[in-house]
Amino acid sequence: MGKANNLKIRNVLITIVVIYIVLLIGPIAGFDIPNIYAQVAANPLQLVQFLIIGLANGAILSIIALGYTMVYGIIELVNFAHGDVYMIGVFTSLTVLSLTGTLDAKDPGRIILGLIFALVISIAVGAGLNAFIERVAYRRLRNSSRLAALISAIGVSFILENIGLIWAGQTWLVPLFGTTGGASQKSFPDLLGKIMAGYGLNVNLLANTGIKLTFNIKDALVLVLAAVMMTGLRLFVQNTKTGKAMRAVAQNRDASKMLGIDIDNVISTTFAIGGGLAGAAGLMAGLYNNTAWWFMGFRVGLESFTAAVLGGIGNITGGMLGGFLIGLLASFSDGYLNARWTHAWVFVILVLVLLFRPSGLLGEHVGEKA
Amino acid sequence: MNEKMKRGIIIALVAGFVTLLFGGWAVSVAGAIAGMGLGFFLGGKNTEKTIAAAIKAALGPIAVSAGLILVISLLDDLVVATAIGKTPNDPLTMIEVNLVAIISFFAFACLLTATSTLSEKKQRNAQIILLIFVIISFPFVDNFTGLRWTPQIIFALIFTILALGLNIVVGFAGLLDLGYAAFFAIGAYTTGILSSPQHGIFLNFWLVIWIAAAVAGTFGLILGAPTLPLRGDYLAIVTLGFGEIVPVLFKNLIKVTIQEPFTCWIIPAITKLFGASSSLACITFIKDVDLTAGEKGINPIGRPWLPFIGEFQSDNPIPWYFLIIAIILMSVFIIRRLRDSRLGRAWMAVREDELAASQMGIDPVRTKLLAFAMGAMFSGFAGAFYGAYIRAIFPSVFDFSVSIIVLCMVILGGLGNINGVIVGGLVIMSADRLFLPALKDFLAGLLKNTILPALAGNPTLKAAVEQNANPILYRFLLFGLTLVIMMAVRPQGLIPSAQRKAELVGDENEPTEPLTATEG
Repeated sequence: MGKANNLKIRNVLITIVVIYIVLLIGPIAGFDIPNIYAQVAANPLQLVQFLIIGLANGAILSIIALGYTMVYGIIELVNFAHGDVYMIGVFTSLTVLSLTGTLDAKDPGRIILGLIFALVISIAVGAGLNAFIERVAYRRLRNSSRLAALISAIGVSFILENIGLIWAGQTWLVPLFGTTGGASQKSFPDLLGKIMAGYGLNVNLLANTGIKLTFNIKDALVLVLAAVMMTGLRLFVQNTKTGKAMRAVAQNRDASKMLGIDIDNVISTTFAIGGGLAGAAGLMAGLYNNTAWWFMGFRVGLESFTAAVLGGIGNITGGMLGGFLIGLLASFSDGYLNARWTHAWVFVILVLVLLFRPSGLLGEHVGEKA
Repeated sequence: MNEKMKRGIIIALVAGFVTLLFGGWAVSVAGAIAGMGLGFFLGGKNTEKTIAAAIKAALGPIAVSAGLILVISLLDDLVVATAIGKTPNDPLTMIEVNLVAIISFFAFACLLTATSTLSEKKQRNAQIILLIFVIISFPFVDNFTGLRWTPQIIFALIFTILALGLNIVVGFAGLLDLGYAAFFAIGAYTTGILSSPQHGIFLNFWLVIWIAAAVAGTFGLILGAPTLPLRGDYLAIVTLGFGEIVPVLFKNLIKVTIQEPFTCWIIPAITKLFGASSSLACITFIKDVDLTAGEKGINPIGRPWLPFIGEFQSDNPIPWYFLIIAIILMSVFIIRRLRDSRLGRAWMAVREDELAASQMGIDPVRTKLLAFAMGAMFSGFAGAFYGAYIRAIFPSVFDFSVSIIVLCMVILGGLGNINGVIVGGLVIMSADRLFLPALKDFLAGLLKNTILPALAGNPTLKAAVEQNANPILYRFLLFGLTLVIMMAVRPQGLIPSAQRKAELVGDENEPTEPLTATEG
């Protein structure tokens, strides 16, 4: 008993010391409480605005985080290349939009059709790419050490980033890329604004309500699409035969095999679903943030991996929750701390979660499961 | 075709490739190195009793590869040089360089083949003497032939030190560290802050290099202490996070203010809440200090100084070359001793089976922490040298790709094997720093003089070809492919260490249980 008490006191002391250190050196990284308080007091409505931005960004992160969490749940692999599949999704949709002439179209109906087509294509490309990656780079490593599979995943991530870099330089394919070469950020045209203008509507859905907030059509679209996809995925995993097989394989691969489940097939399907979600997230992020960049997958990938870990990796609901939380955190950090430090703060969260609650918010305690 | 002939042809083709890319005297240098490589392979397997018999047995492959090199070299001078728009060698130089190439090829190949008649120990000594000769003569030969490879080789050697350090963490202790560039950055920035006029501190390089190593090692401890209980893949991601945060820090530490929170705002806020005013003085440690100069970086950084040589200059790479060679020799010596020490054996024990190791009385946390600190220390050396050599450091130099390039070297060479890691480092970095730029120039010349005129009728295709025929654009692809292919085909690396090989090659009898050696 005494030992447990000592441990408790030690933990409390450590927590106090950590909090003090954060208060001491936090201001270097923008964590300056008096300053934040002053900002919130000056404009409380801004808080709601950051909340909206955070939720929309979080919706995109959630969708990507689902890919991480599903793959980790089934084969315990951190699919490091997943963020880059999302980046490929952005470029696929941009290319499809350019090739179908949607970027230059004036008619809103035409743009909507083009967007739906681009969504379908980027989902298909993302799904096919992710399943292909699994087949080529991970399948034969399934029985070797986790380190080997992770290293292979990093290699795939580098390959995809390089493909993105080359892709962004192909001006003959997409004239919009311009002559600045593949390394520069490309703009993703604001097609939603164009549609609204075509119908004579205001981009800001709250423009005529008297509320001094912006809730753009793109915020609404991202949230609606994310909700549809998450509900669909949940229904799929809970109710369909394939979904049940996926859960069975995640629980016990050997036993599922004995019951006649085609393991390879189930794992491929999981990768394909994750990749399809990442491809869809690519189009959504392109429409939302209006940029395309070959390196964007790295950062977003790490943020959504953090989201998956925060929610409890392997847990689908947890992945969604984590995505929204990280989106909110990033948005508040951008707004009140300093955008330069947001990336670092997300990592601080990741490290803290891994250290103090490795099972995440919703994950069951897996302990030191090998 | 037998094995020896095959090796000879492969080596000759590589040498021929180098000749095509660089032209001029490259054929002589490539010929000499190829001769050594071939002699090393042929000599190793030879069992002949007399020198004459040994050479006679190896003469076939040697002659064939020498002929191949000569043919490629002549092809380069007579056909390729015109195609890529380079002025071909004049006939006299052509004869000269090819003669030197063939003679040195034959001499080194035969010499090394002949060593196979000696006893094993003597053969090894002979090979080491030859290696020392090559290392010492390299910068002078390079200077004489005007190839200017030495600055790039110095880069390769800096990264080789990094790879040696990472090998302690990944290869010996089995901890995947994806943020190794952070320690490199810490070493370089320590050097920058302590020996740059920007901060008014100007310490001697010979002191700073030790301070940099110590600071990097300390940060290894600070990072390792909380994270080492984590499982293998989580540890990898956390180290990656650390590697991402450090450049962000260096980028943004431009107006650093540290104030004691209680006296500065907590107590005043509370007293204000009760309507009183606080009389506490705010304790400020530092205010608005520019530590790293942000994106502009630290510039210039102090350089080493030695008697007789004076201050090292950037236009003369030879002192730098020998300095980095000295650092590498020291590192290899220390790492070899570490590997065979009690600590080194503890690293491997913890890597193989942590539970069993702790039952044998090894403290796993302490052992892993020391691996982190030691690995970080060597990248501190590399960082200090890098800072002094480049004279200017920027946060963007130390990004994630550096960590992965170093990981690539360790994996290509062979996890846990010191010689393998050195070979891996040299191969990857010379591919990145020497061959890709040379290939770029080669292709650019070829395009400009041969291909693009032929495509003049099709402007779209011409623009597309021009845009994409730049090998430097594909370097990430190269590293990525290296990792994926090595993991799929040869996870133990080109020159594996025996223990690591057994561990990394998948075990068919255990289909579902992943090998857990790297997991905490």
